[in-house]
Amino acid sequence: MQTPGTYISAIGHVGLIGWLILGWGFSAEPLRIETMDVSVVTGEEFEAMLQAARTPEPGEAEPDAPVVPEFDETPPPAPTEEEPNAPAPPPEPVEPPEEEVPPPPPPPAPPVADVTDVAPDEPVVPAPPPPSPDVEISQRPTPRQADTVASTISEPPPPDAQVDDVVRDEVVPDDSAEVEVVEDEQEPTAPEDTTDQIVIEDEAPSGVVETSMRPQVRPSRPTPPAPEVDEPEAETVETPAEPETPEPDVDDAVAAALAAAGAGEAPAVQAGPPMTGSERDSFRVSVNRCWNVDPGSVAARVTVEVGFSLDRSGRVEGNEVRLISSDGDQSATNTAFEAARRAILRCQSGGYQLPADKYDQWKDVVITFDPSGMRLR
Amino acid sequence: MMKRLLTLLVALMLAGPVLAQNGPLRLRITDGVIEPITFAVPSFEAESPQAQQVAADLSRLVVQDLAGTGLFREVPATAFISQVSSFAQPVAFADWRAINAQALIVGAVTVSGNQLVVRFRLYDVFSGQELGEGLQFAGTTAGWRRMGHKVADAVYSRITGEGGYFDSRVVFVSEAGPKDNRQKRLAVMDYDGANLQFLTDSSTIVLAPRFSPNGDRVLYTSYESGFPRINVLNVANVGRQQLTTAPGEMAFSPRFSRDGRQVTYSLSNGGNTDIYRTDLSSGQHVRLTSAPSIETAPSLSPDGSQIVFESDRSGSQQLYIMSANGGEARRISFGEGRYGTPVWSPRGDLVAFTKQNAGRFHIGVMRTDGSEERLLTSSFLDEGPTWSPNGRVIMFSRETQGAGGTSSMYSVDISGRNLKAVPIQGGASDPSWGPLQP
Repeated sequence: MQTPGTYISAIGHVGLIGWLILGWGFSAEPLRIETMDVSVVTGEEFEAMLQAARTPEPGEAEPDAPVVPEFDETPPPAPTEEEPNAPAPPPEPVEPPEEEVPPPPPPPAPPVADVTDVAPDEPVVPAPPPPSPDVEISQRPTPRQADTVASTISEPPPPDAQVDDVVRDEVVPDDSAEVEVVEDEQEPTAPEDTTDQIVIEDEAPSGVVETSMRPQVRPSRPTPPAPEVDEPEAETVETPAEPETPEPDVDDAVAAALAAAGAGEAPAVQAGPPMTGSERDSFRVSVNRCWNVDPGSVAARVTVEVGFSLDRSGRVEGNEVRLISSDGDQSATNTAFEAARRAILRCQSGGYQLPADKYDQWKDVVITFDPSGMRLR
Repeated sequence: MMKRLLTLLVALMLAGPVLAQNGPLRLRITDGVIEPITFAVPSFEAESPQAQQVAADLSRLVVQDLAGTGLFREVPATAFISQVSSFAQPVAFADWRAINAQALIVGAVTVSGNQLVVRFRLYDVFSGQELGEGLQFAGTTAGWRRMGHKVADAVYSRITGEGGYFDSRVVFVSEAGPKDNRQKRLAVMDYDGANLQFLTDSSTIVLAPRFSPNGDRVLYTSYESGFPRINVLNVANVGRQQLTTAPGEMAFSPRFSRDGRQVTYSLSNGGNTDIYRTDLSSGQHVRLTSAPSIETAPSLSPDGSQIVFESDRSGSQQLYIMSANGGEARRISFGEGRYGTPVWSPRGDLVAFTKQNAGRFHIGVMRTDGSEERLLTSSFLDEGPTWSPNGRVIMFSRETQGAGGTSSMYSVDISGRNLKAVPIQGGASDPSWGPLQP
């Protein structure tokens, strides 16, 4: 058994240990949490930027560059997921935030470091940074730009200038893509595409400088999604109505058509395609070239309608042509009918050239011979 | 709404084929061709040795009649694939179709003494059917031409649906000698110029002969008395008598009424010319016009209810139509130039006339309301139109220019085609086409 002294000793040690433990962790965290100071620093960034613009870049830029690589080395092992941790490391060097503060300078910095020749072109790029106006839109761009800057700086190095160019080019396509998306959004599949792109945007920042532009694009996307949602809803409202009602409508229409036709039966399907205009004209010409009209005769004032049947070879069955109607007297009608019959029979020779697959369409023929346009005037 | 539209659309799509299937193919043809109908006339079979020549001549006459109309074209015998050796043998239509003969005329001729019998059949080659029934004509060998014309008339009528005009005669003024001393006689001939006969001698000037409706008489104007007078001549015996007209100085331009019992003519009295009508049996006269202008050349409509005539009441010679009993007249010619010698068509739908305009003469036709005027000829001097019995052809006289100019007769289809001279020797003018002979 132990003496009270041991108890006192044990309690004292435990308390010491607990104090040490609690005290150690407590004291460490509060220090890290002070990263909030960074936000305060961002407020100074503007001044720093102005100062940076005024102050010689080389001095600060060089130190910045080395710092950035450090971040680049750390991120590779831990992809963007470490972003939440990212804020932790920066705290270590208090300056980094300050260096990050000059995100505007970074663009010019990398070019200067990598390729001075290319830099001159990019300085033009700084123009985009002026997206400062975008800053007015929201504070979101700033934090994200900070993140993207960190990641991009690591990868772009090889082709910085090219990447920048591409970025600009891509910006246009992005816009256009977005426009297309908007158009596609009207289609049922559109929404899916947009979501994919959105995901890509979230991922893209880590890969390419495009992230700098997408923040600008995003504002416009939120709007399209809304209509997308509305449209799909509208569609869903209509589509269910259409598919449901149309089906019975088609049935009704079919039934109505069949009823109207008197007997919608198989023959209608067997009839095949209707005679085309050229086929009808060809037939008409082949007959009228044998229709001999005597303009001075009384028969030239008579219109007759005759009917006949053709066999599959295009010949008049039994050479029988029947008179259906006439608007003249008996004598003139006979003459007009005989002229029409001669025309039909004389020009059939080996059979009228008609489409064999449409025999059902021309097996029975009715021709009206109207000489009114050939009368003497 | 959408449902209804969809229903209608589907119904139309389905009903269309069904309807197309159930109905025949319907076409409308409005443009044909204008060309002669081809026909073949194998030499008629001579059923007796004496009939050989007549059969051949008669066959050729049928061909001439038909081809002369301009509406038919002969397929020459040299193109024949098969011959018709017997009137009764079946026709090999395929052989005639092969040479594109649309009509086939086969016949047989029998001569017994001076008796002639002609039989014929007409076939529609492409339908393989006979048009009408076979016909037979009997007569004398001297009248073989008339029998040939009869066959041609029957063929013409069966194909065209109109009456023929081949077996008809024309009375006209035969002219001889120079213009300043021209001798004129009444003459009559077949429509084709054959069988010419003179009805009067050349002792007096004769003008404007007009056949009676049945062709038995001829009205004409004679200057035998020094003044123009109207005579009636019996064609059969050449007997003649002067028509008793209303009192006046000159009577001319006579025409028979459709029944042949009355004569309508012009009478000039005291410098005024008007139209009168005289009943041949009673001798009663009726004055039909009373205008101070010149009214002449009356021609009755087929139904006898109206008269078309020429008048200068408007200041220039124009055509007018009035009731057969006189009264108010309406002008039907309004074109440029002067219109004269109107003749009402046997069909009743047209009026033929002579038109003088811009120094030339024309034969033309217009509808009875004056519309659709068409000029069929044009020359230095065309005048005196007369209608064929079927109203299809117009014959007229044409005079050539100059002191040595001569007058001759021409015929033209009312379509303006087939203008040709009547084959006759010597000068001829002022034709009047008689009716088809019985």
